[in-house]
Amino acid sequence: MKIICLCVFLLCSGFATAQENFPKVSLQVTEKSIPEVITMLEDQTSYTFYYIDSWIQEEKITANITNTFLPEALDAIFSNTSLNYYLSPDKKVILTKNTLIYDSLPEGFFNDEQEKTTVQKEADDTSNKQSNFNPVFLNASPISTTIETTTISIGKARKDALQKTATISGYIKDKKNNTPIEDVSIKLSDKNYGTTTNEQGYFELTLPIGLNSLVIKSLGYAPKKYNVLLYNDGQLSVFLKEQVENLGEVVINTNKDKNIKTEITGTVDVDVKKIKNIPLVLGERDIFKVAATLPGITTAGEGSSGFNIRGGKTDQNLILLDGGVLYNPVHFFGIFSAINPFTTSKVTIYKGNIPSEFGGRLSSVIDIETKNGNTKKLSGEASIGPVTGNVSIEIPISKEKSSVVIGARSTYSDWILKALDNEELKNSTANYYDIVAKYHSKINEDNTLEATAYHSKDKFSITSDSIFGYTNSMASVNWTHTFNEKIKGKLLVSNSQYAFSIDFDQTGNRDFSLGYKNNETHLKYILKHDFSNNHFLTYGVSEKLYVINPGKIKPVGTESLITPVTIDKERGLESALFISDKITVNKKLILNLGLRVSNYLALGAGQERIYATGLPKNENTLVAVKQYDANEVIQSYLNPEVRISTRYLLKNNLSIKAGFNTTAQYIHALSNNTTASPTDTWKLSDSNIKPQKATQYALGIYKNDTEGMYELSLEGFYKRFKDVLDYKTGSQFLLNETLETEVIQGVGKSYGIEFLIKKLKGRLNGWVSYTYSRAFFKMDSPFAEETINNGAYFPANFDKPHNLNFITNFKITERFSFSGNFIYQTGRPVTVPIGNFTINNSEFVLYSDRNAFRIPDYYRLDLSFNIEGTHKIKKLAHSFWNISVYNVLGRNNPYSVFFVTENGEVKAYQSAIFAIPVPTISYNLKF
Amino acid sequence: MKYIFIYGWVFISFLSCVEEINFVTDEEDFESALVVEATLTDEAIKQQIILSRTYKFEADGPSPETGAQVSVIADGETIQFTETQPGIYTSNTIFIAEPNVNYQLKIMTSSGKKYESDTTQLTQDTQIDNLYYQRITNDLGEDGVAIYVDSFDPTSQSKFYRYTYEETYKIVAPFYKNSNLIVTGNVFPDCNVALVGRDENVKTCYKTDFSSEIILTTTTDLQEDRVSGFLVRFLNKNNFIISHRYSILVKQYVQQPDAYLFYAKLKEIAAQGSNLFSQIQPGFLNGNLHAENNNQEKVIGFFEVSSVSNARLFFNFSDVFPNQELPPYVINCIPFSPQIIVPGLGGTGSCGELITSLENNTITYWEENASPEEGEGPYWVVPRVCGDCTVLGETQVPDFWID
Repeated sequence: MKIICLCVFLLCSGFATAQENFPKVSLQVTEKSIPEVITMLEDQTSYTFYYIDSWIQEEKITANITNTFLPEALDAIFSNTSLNYYLSPDKKVILTKNTLIYDSLPEGFFNDEQEKTTVQKEADDTSNKQSNFNPVFLNASPISTTIETTTISIGKARKDALQKTATISGYIKDKKNNTPIEDVSIKLSDKNYGTTTNEQGYFELTLPIGLNSLVIKSLGYAPKKYNVLLYNDGQLSVFLKEQVENLGEVVINTNKDKNIKTEITGTVDVDVKKIKNIPLVLGERDIFKVAATLPGITTAGEGSSGFNIRGGKTDQNLILLDGGVLYNPVHFFGIFSAINPFTTSKVTIYKGNIPSEFGGRLSSVIDIETKNGNTKKLSGEASIGPVTGNVSIEIPISKEKSSVVIGARSTYSDWILKALDNEELKNSTANYYDIVAKYHSKINEDNTLEATAYHSKDKFSITSDSIFGYTNSMASVNWTHTFNEKIKGKLLVSNSQYAFSIDFDQTGNRDFSLGYKNNETHLKYILKHDFSNNHFLTYGVSEKLYVINPGKIKPVGTESLITPVTIDKERGLESALFISDKITVNKKLILNLGLRVSNYLALGAGQERIYATGLPKNENTLVAVKQYDANEVIQSYLNPEVRISTRYLLKNNLSIKAGFNTTAQYIHALSNNTTASPTDTWKLSDSNIKPQKATQYALGIYKNDTEGMYELSLEGFYKRFKDVLDYKTGSQFLLNETLETEVIQGVGKSYGIEFLIKKLKGRLNGWVSYTYSRAFFKMDSPFAEETINNGAYFPANFDKPHNLNFITNFKITERFSFSGNFIYQTGRPVTVPIGNFTINNSEFVLYSDRNAFRIPDYYRLDLSFNIEGTHKIKKLAHSFWNISVYNVLGRNNPYSVFFVTENGEVKAYQSAIFAIPVPTISYNLKF
Repeated sequence: MKYIFIYGWVFISFLSCVEEINFVTDEEDFESALVVEATLTDEAIKQQIILSRTYKFEADGPSPETGAQVSVIADGETIQFTETQPGIYTSNTIFIAEPNVNYQLKIMTSSGKKYESDTTQLTQDTQIDNLYYQRITNDLGEDGVAIYVDSFDPTSQSKFYRYTYEETYKIVAPFYKNSNLIVTGNVFPDCNVALVGRDENVKTCYKTDFSSEIILTTTTDLQEDRVSGFLVRFLNKNNFIISHRYSILVKQYVQQPDAYLFYAKLKEIAAQGSNLFSQIQPGFLNGNLHAENNNQEKVIGFFEVSSVSNARLFFNFSDVFPNQELPPYVINCIPFSPQIIVPGLGGTGSCGELITSLENNTITYWEENASPEEGEGPYWVVPRVCGDCTVLGETQVPDFWID
């Protein structure tokens, strides 16, 4: 499209300089339309107004003028509009939009020198202003482009405008659902100068006065071009249309060059929309499993819940869903994640630098965002796979303003367990479901309210006499308020609960029902303050109240002799103040200085067991038990947590980043298993269990190619842990009142190098990641019962030095594509028997040092074929088929090796979760 | 709302797998450690302490720790033990563990290494109130007989119980004959056997087996210190040992809490295959024994002084399963007729399987083969266990046996 630009340029002579020549007017109006005001003015004077109706339709005038000369009155009346006026000697008032009519040529108009006039500042007299104007001229060079171009004028030309530049600011939003878009680039089309939007979609850009050609671009959206005729500071708000989704592209980072530009090291974004082609076991689209193919993120094995991020334990990850924490969002022993992929828009994993607004876990923050529902029309998505059915619906409530999205998933039946080739599991049942709902409402320009509710439940029975169940529940409310363009505040209130139960029903006198529950209430207020060009501040306060009911057992049935026991409630209050300043030192160097000061109080009512100092904690060294009343402080801990990161741009597409991060954690999962399990209990720090702490140093180098085709990163980290928890062999945690006697606290270290290359475009796309990393712990003490491996460092259960992932997608046509994963990992360490012994005629095994051996290496190939439905616009629904085979090679990857004493003899077994190729078809439908 | 059309089908074969593997560790990984079995009781017997060493997987069993000096210090008084069999140390005198006395075990091995235990005391004396059997169907759906124990400590001090049992059963050889074959010529062509009478009746025998599991229960979670209907032993209906008459002696040991915990952990780690998805962290279990001057050396076992209570019961198969077929014998006894001579070419040949099996004592006589067919010999025989119960047990009727 060719642009047509009109510039009014009138030359007039004989500009009146004296106010006295003008009539005086009086005007008291509120919210009157301009024509009405003009009529009133025309009535009071002999002047006639000339204008184009369309210019003055929308704007309203509020003015209170008494006996004022006309020019002054007009100044006041039009001050808040985009209108300018020109008073001609023949008693005409000519109104112009944006443009100013000059009645003399500017100085320097006829020579090439730029503005040699001394600029006089802040002239308070109209006569002075007249010699100091800087009119805007349209550069005559033609502009042509293939993308949609709009021409607009911004700001009102003022005769007293002294500046050569002006700042435009505004919001960039998604046209469909009116949500702000982050990291949109706003650039001058001919120069490499521009900015990007922040997470509120807000941007500010200082440009030279005059015509500027701006290109607004964001991956996933159709770009827009604006020819901006800039007069003065002003606003530009843009709605971008989502670009037709590129079929079959496996793209993780949505924003070009974000990896280069952001100053935070070690972050990973998973774009949920783009993961649908990745072949996954049993057709379950699983965000966590995809995340685990990225460097630095591993799981202990196919059937284990939780992640190990950069050598951290599984309880050291803060999993947030719309701000509310989830303790164990997995189903089916950990094979599937309990996060609905349909309702999730984005997952950001902070594995290196954790922004200071987050705290409470050592190793990472997994920030999951639920998408905002469609505010325009009812839409939804449904899928059917072999294990679960999944439906999500987006319901607009108030058009363009508010909507609800609801997602629900459930297993069909427990047939899957029946199919297992495992005698014990054949008689088992397992059922699960999860449901999530989010309401969002844009109350007005400045206020947004979001509320999320989540519930998941698993129920399984492995032996005929007991039933296990666990649930995650979470509710959060986020209220975002924009104070002004520079300051935005967000209030978060959330409550999360994790509970599990065991019901035991057998003949005899010990039927029982056992329950565990923890509850966390979180209140956070955060302010994002665009303080100046160089400083972006984020600060706030956070309060977390933990309440743990560590266990309750009650008899079931009349014959049961089980004593009802309730272990005392534990309570803790974690308070934190946090601040970070993103300092843009220059175009190349950004420094982000963050500090979080966390204070933890172990609160009564409760008792403190005091043990003899310098001796192992056990029954015999218990010295005293001190009672505390409700809300009395049993123990307090204060930890300053430093979060520093920096970025230096070596080239436009090449940067290095470094980070230093310290974290503290006051709630700990206790498990006597080698991998996480749903009945792991969480325990709060108290006087006997110290908070865990970690320090991480990270360094990374990031490079993109100029076409945005490839992204490369290489990151290294070194991490130290203090007071991490381990346990005496054979410890029991459930219903144990003296947990501290089972726990050992020690140190740990991990280090690694992570390499990632992504191909973002083209028919063949995907990524390759390779990580070399190690993780060790050390439990040393003068007492044998509190040491592991004689107090030497030993590899963690999840220490897998080599980790290689290929994730690829090949587009055959727009509708058909192939995907493949290849995964290789070093086998994880295990503790194995190194000899036998006999006690009571029974053979037992003597175990090696902790984790002295490894199970065989793990490798797996998955393939899938994807068929998209036709892209007819009028089609009712969009369908998608995925045919996949998991573990094509049928590799019998051992998950664990274990040893059982059977009939007095020791036998070795290995277990594998998916030992043969698992084919799946799943069907997906979007409407 | 627009209509949703969902269509899907699925083919799947979903297999997880647990398989037995042959696990071998290297020579240098093996660690030799002292293993101590030491439970003193309040029974009036010569008390026993067993010392052995850990052994490699390929070894047949533990090697006894011989030549050690073993003693128990009881409130300063030394009770000496003497090695009566390799690795088995028996107190020189009969002694009964007494309440409120501190006992400590001291060991010095032949290599001069010294070990000792923490001190411990005799536990509360609690009797087995009732030992009884009942026909049940267990969790795995097996029909069989369960042996239960009831016990009650009104003082609520016992709380931790460990059980062992000795089961004795009558064996009747189903193919017993009071005559048997002997070899009279075993060199070709002189391959001959003779049918002679037996000196001894080997039809009925008795066999005693000892429990090889750790059987534990605790009443800490109950309102009273009452063991009620605790299953000590389950015997499948098809277990041949209950075919005729069966007797079980159950011993109830009251344990100290830490001794109980040691056994409970040992048991839990040994039985860890039960959950496919999470594995209990195994490792070395510290007992209450340690090497003097060396914190790091591993010593396995727990020295305990327990009160013990015994109870015995008898039952016949028909008492539990009236009018039902007996369980199958230990093996399936099918008479066969091996050749006495295997003819070769040109008058050559060798003595047949009948001769070699008799010489190896693996068969017994059943009856004459009146019309041997091609490849058969002159007699029907059965595997020895079918006609001679001494393969499994002893003919001597135990002292306690009541028919």
